[in-house]
Amino acid sequence: MDIRIENLTKTYGNLNAVDHMNLSINDGELVGLLGPSGCGKSTTLFMLSGLTTPTEGKIYFGDKDVTSIPPEDREIGLVFQNYALYPHMTVEDNITFPLINRGMKKAQAREEAFEIAKVVKIEQYMKRRPSELSGGQQQRVAIARALVKKPQVLLLDEPLSNLDAKLRVATREEIRRIQQEVKITTIFVTHDQEEAMSISDRIAVMKEGVLQQYEVPQTMYLNPANTFVANFLGMPEINNIEIDVKGGVISADGNILRKGASLADGHYKAGIRPESFYVDENGAALEVSNIRMTGRDLLLFTKLGSTDVRVLVHSYMQIGVGDKLGVSVRDEHILVFDDKEVLIGRF
Amino acid sequence: MDKKSFKGYLYLLPSIIIMVCFTLYPLVRAIIMSFLGDYSIINDSYNSIGFENYKALFSDPDFGKSLINTAIYVVCVVPASIILSLLFAVLINSCKKLKALFQTIYFLPYVTSVIAIGIVWRWMFNSNYGLINYVLSIFGVEPIQWLNLPEYAMPALIIFAIWKSMAFNILIFLAGLQTIPEDLYRAARIDSTPRLRVFTRITVPSLAPMIVYSSVIGMIGAFKVYNEVFSLFQGKAGPANSAMTIVYYIYDKFYNSYKYGVAAAGSVVLFLIILALTQIQLKVTGGRKK
Repeated sequence: MDIRIENLTKTYGNLNAVDHMNLSINDGELVGLLGPSGCGKSTTLFMLSGLTTPTEGKIYFGDKDVTSIPPEDREIGLVFQNYALYPHMTVEDNITFPLINRGMKKAQAREEAFEIAKVVKIEQYMKRRPSELSGGQQQRVAIARALVKKPQVLLLDEPLSNLDAKLRVATREEIRRIQQEVKITTIFVTHDQEEAMSISDRIAVMKEGVLQQYEVPQTMYLNPANTFVANFLGMPEINNIEIDVKGGVISADGNILRKGASLADGHYKAGIRPESFYVDENGAALEVSNIRMTGRDLLLFTKLGSTDVRVLVHSYMQIGVGDKLGVSVRDEHILVFDDKEVLIGRF
Repeated sequence: MDKKSFKGYLYLLPSIIIMVCFTLYPLVRAIIMSFLGDYSIINDSYNSIGFENYKALFSDPDFGKSLINTAIYVVCVVPASIILSLLFAVLINSCKKLKALFQTIYFLPYVTSVIAIGIVWRWMFNSNYGLINYVLSIFGVEPIQWLNLPEYAMPALIIFAIWKSMAFNILIFLAGLQTIPEDLYRAARIDSTPRLRVFTRITVPSLAPMIVYSSVIGMIGAFKVYNEVFSLFQGKAGPANSAMTIVYYIYDKFYNSYKYGVAAAGSVVLFLIILALTQIQLKVTGGRKK
């Protein structure tokens, strides 16, 4: 089911929780709504579900305007952040509940519940209560309950936030697998950029109710629309520096970073990702003030002139605190922003 | 006993003394008293030791009637009050704007003196000018002699008691309703659950602990019913003792007939009934938790 959001707005008092949002989602896509808490991503999800009524704007499922259709008639499945499983019912009763509500016979409902339970791999827990399951298993039950009525759209609110780190990675792969297996248009809300990038077909980044960028993860990471997106994506975070351009030469605090850039003379804001640096004896010399071992990489805390800069190098590199390191920036890895913090280009 | 726990017991001492004086000692005395024939509370004298009082108790038709009345009272008041309170609590809870107002109104009976309430209800039950007979007359029902005829005394008492006990139950259920996560109702909505099914499959099971609690407290309280009888029938047990309950019987034997031993025997019987009930309920609720 294609989804189209037009001018969607939700106002609470004077606050625009969601501000004139436009978005199109193709059938079968997995879209991540990403942003810090309070950015309006959950509000958007709840408006898609119908539990929240928009102040303004339209939502289309396919060609049908569903803006004023109540949630029970929207053919959606919704998975809540805390799963909202019915605690006094068994897993099976939880999953058959929506079917029996729609008048399905118990025997058939059970069969269908078993089918979907196999997809999410919880068929051996059918007789248990939610409290007897782990967080990850409860999550699967919630997804099964959402999918059992064969909805056109699956909505997930912070599906992984209640899981521990290891389970989170496994579960997000599961969500991707289930989504591909059922071939259902899926929208999920997250504040975790890594989560969003790893499984989404496209990501919508929001800030203070306004959609910042809607892109394929890789494109978004390489070409963030503005400094907010650039800072929100990537861990460790991007380095924000000030640059001066004169005659095509980009320099920061007197350290030359690039020559021959086709950029008008002036002062700019720029972003360089920690992994965009490479060791180069002829490059700018940085003094290492601190080192963090992260496993695959060493994260070096250094200073470029007066600006703090984080640099990632391979973990087999022998380097100590106080050492000097010459670095250059990979081609097309300096992100330059204008005075409105919008991306001009990569240099 | 080490020094630390000695200090601990010292802190408990005041409440232990109070409990021993006002609960344990009277309990033991009552049990002893129930085995003393013709006991006099004034000079502490008695004629015999044995089951004389219990024989008198069980051969007294009034005590038999009080047992039956109390049983009818418990069986009618507790379930009816819980069912009605549950419905009212859900209604009050769904009315977001006037919730606080209704909550206060429905709680008033709990904080008002039973005697005062009794006077109001006596007026309501009045066969000539009462509100209840007036409402019934709209539906063509002849005036009922609520408080003057023996056959209507128990129904009047039960209606009065249900109304009065609802206050506490509504409070408990309203508190319980607050603890049900809003997301459960949202999920039910997404799952297109009919309203009645939301109530029976989500609200009621979520309130199960409160319902069990209310029925335990309500049942124990109902077995000890006395105030309601006293206030509704102005210190009597209804016309021709038709609304005699166990506690009223005990009171009557003690203060009006000066049969202290029989009164003590009656309270021991009531004690055993409540003890047995509590044990059963503890078993049932304990089993639920597992």
